[in-house]
Amino acid sequence: MKGRWSSIVDGKGFDIALVALPLTFLLTLSGLPLIYNVLMSLQQVDLFSLGTFWRPFVGFKNYSELFAQQETWPILANTAIFVAASIVGQFLIGFGLALMFSTNFPGASWLRGLFLVSWVMPGLVVGAIWSWILSGDFGVLNFLLRESGLINGNIFWRSDPNYSLLAVIIANIWLGISFNMILLSVGLSAIPADLYEAAELDGANAWQRFWTITLPMMRSSIGAVIALGIILTLQQFDLFAAITSGGPNDSSNVAQYWAWELSFRQYDFAKGATISVIMIVFVMLAAFVYVRSTRHEIRG
Amino acid sequence: MNIRKCAMLSALVMGSVLGFCVPAMAEDVTISVWSHDNDRPASSLVADYNKLDTGIKIEYREVPFDDLVSEALRAYSTGQAPDIIAIDNPEHALFASRGAFLDLTDMIAKSTIIEPKNYFPGPLASTMWEGRQYGVPKATNTIALYYNKDMFKAKGLDPDKPPRTWAELVDAARKLTDPAANVYGIAFSAKASEEGTFQFLPWAQMAGASYENINTDGAVKALDTWKTLLDEGLASRDTLTRSQWDSTGTFNSGNAAMAISGPWELDRMVAEAKFDWGVALLPVPEEGAERSSSMGDYNWAIFSSTAHPEEAFKVLEFFVSQDDRMFSDFGLLPARADIDIGETGQPLKDAALHVFLEQLKYAKPRGPHPEWPKISKAIQDAIQAALTGRMSSREALDEAAKKIKAVLG
Repeated sequence: MKGRWSSIVDGKGFDIALVALPLTFLLTLSGLPLIYNVLMSLQQVDLFSLGTFWRPFVGFKNYSELFAQQETWPILANTAIFVAASIVGQFLIGFGLALMFSTNFPGASWLRGLFLVSWVMPGLVVGAIWSWILSGDFGVLNFLLRESGLINGNIFWRSDPNYSLLAVIIANIWLGISFNMILLSVGLSAIPADLYEAAELDGANAWQRFWTITLPMMRSSIGAVIALGIILTLQQFDLFAAITSGGPNDSSNVAQYWAWELSFRQYDFAKGATISVIMIVFVMLAAFVYVRSTRHEIRG
Repeated sequence: MNIRKCAMLSALVMGSVLGFCVPAMAEDVTISVWSHDNDRPASSLVADYNKLDTGIKIEYREVPFDDLVSEALRAYSTGQAPDIIAIDNPEHALFASRGAFLDLTDMIAKSTIIEPKNYFPGPLASTMWEGRQYGVPKATNTIALYYNKDMFKAKGLDPDKPPRTWAELVDAARKLTDPAANVYGIAFSAKASEEGTFQFLPWAQMAGASYENINTDGAVKALDTWKTLLDEGLASRDTLTRSQWDSTGTFNSGNAAMAISGPWELDRMVAEAKFDWGVALLPVPEEGAERSSSMGDYNWAIFSSTAHPEEAFKVLEFFVSQDDRMFSDFGLLPARADIDIGETGQPLKDAALHVFLEQLKYAKPRGPHPEWPKISKAIQDAIQAALTGRMSSREALDEAAKKIKAVLG
């Protein structure tokens, strides 16, 4: 008895308890809904059978029906473009800013803190502001482009099928910059300063120091930031709701917004669940990369 | 008075109060009411009713618009539905067709307060399913044409003769559009949401089409007219993504000379518009063609799972008995032809209301059909495909007709 108690207080039992607590939490609040979601994608879900658990099993019918729809592939392609372009934009600008702030010019830490403002703002507010900026007739962006002579006529960012996805990407890059910048700043500050000093003594110029010290030392931070970025970008919903509603003509529709539209606009919950399942696969891939890169961090 | 006396006295008072209350509470039946209302009538009506002390107590819950249907579905399928709900009219049939709403036909036949013949035909039709009545319209609205009389004068158009046909409308829009002054001829909404269907369907219906038969020549002409408005720059390209409220905002600020929207705009327009304006009936395809308009707002319904159908019906009767306050107190149009909404003292608003009341006579419900959201989506897709130039109006509407046929079975 005494042995068991002491094991719970400071032995193996304590470790198990520590692991069991978050694991139970994860299983009940994330695991079960996930499984339920997969189950729903294999069932015929009716509006009025929402409350029941055992519904007619239809196998992969929802999947085959989904891929027979003509909008499916374009929307999946939009999703890929949205994620790739957002990540590249967020990362490059975020990394550039992090490097700039790491030079510690006067007021650098101040300014870096201010950048977090964009991260603190609710997505719908960001979306509403961007939808004004991007508005066709009276938008600030069109005004700036026109005054600087870059365009002659107005670009209808939200309503022109050629620009609508780009419009949301621009807003999403802006939203993600500070997140990338802060995480990468943390990574940069973890690189020992004496490495740079030694390299400088050996005559390495700034460019060489960046390629041979900064980048290799940042590998795990970069992996983590990109993996988290992919997950957050796949979750991005508010901007679509606020700026284009996925339109016009689905030209800016992406999987996550479509899943919501199907479930809560057309009440086709099974199809909504089916898209979510497809997305889970991609999120898992990103999560795998994230776990790999942070594991590397601990070892190193 | 010392403390002990004081305590005894208050105990006595408390006791007698409780003594009176207990029997009354035992008799009280609680009726739960769900609605999406903001500053609209339900919460006030509930408070008024609870003051009457009829032995029925109403518990009110405000549900956000986006959650109303899914919350109601979830509650109903788990046996926790409220007694009464106010449901958006195109979704009424979804519940009625599945037996989720109580058939009120016989109760209404006996009622001295609810008279179906007093209602406008459109709102009333939205409460019906297979010839039986499953609810009562709560309020109603429709769309008509707002126009800026000052701009009409400035461009040499007669401000007392607003466009009556589609050709006149396009013609007026061409004359009124003035890119140099940032003025579009007309503002409306072709958004890929229920709002787009709400705005387009009346055009199709005026030309003889219906949702069951959406790819007629008339509907194609309607969509082509919309396309002309956008392609010639008579309406902003943002019409494709802008809500009715935001579109009419550009009318109020003087950036559009005409706007198609509903009476919910009136108060804002009176406050914001710094010009003389008027409202006209929706233009028709050609002189003498059938009129039509869309119809919005909510219906009251009783869930069939209620334990107190009679009490719930009494509550509905109370709501209906207050319909004459609908406009004066809450700014909504009652769905009834027998109520004179009176004068507001605002001449522009009064004139506008008369047009909206006239337009309401031609208002048609969307559906009623239990799969309305899917039908509506097919129509929205067609509007967007045609207006973005991805398909011709004919192809887009053929596609919509195919999808709708699959839904109708």
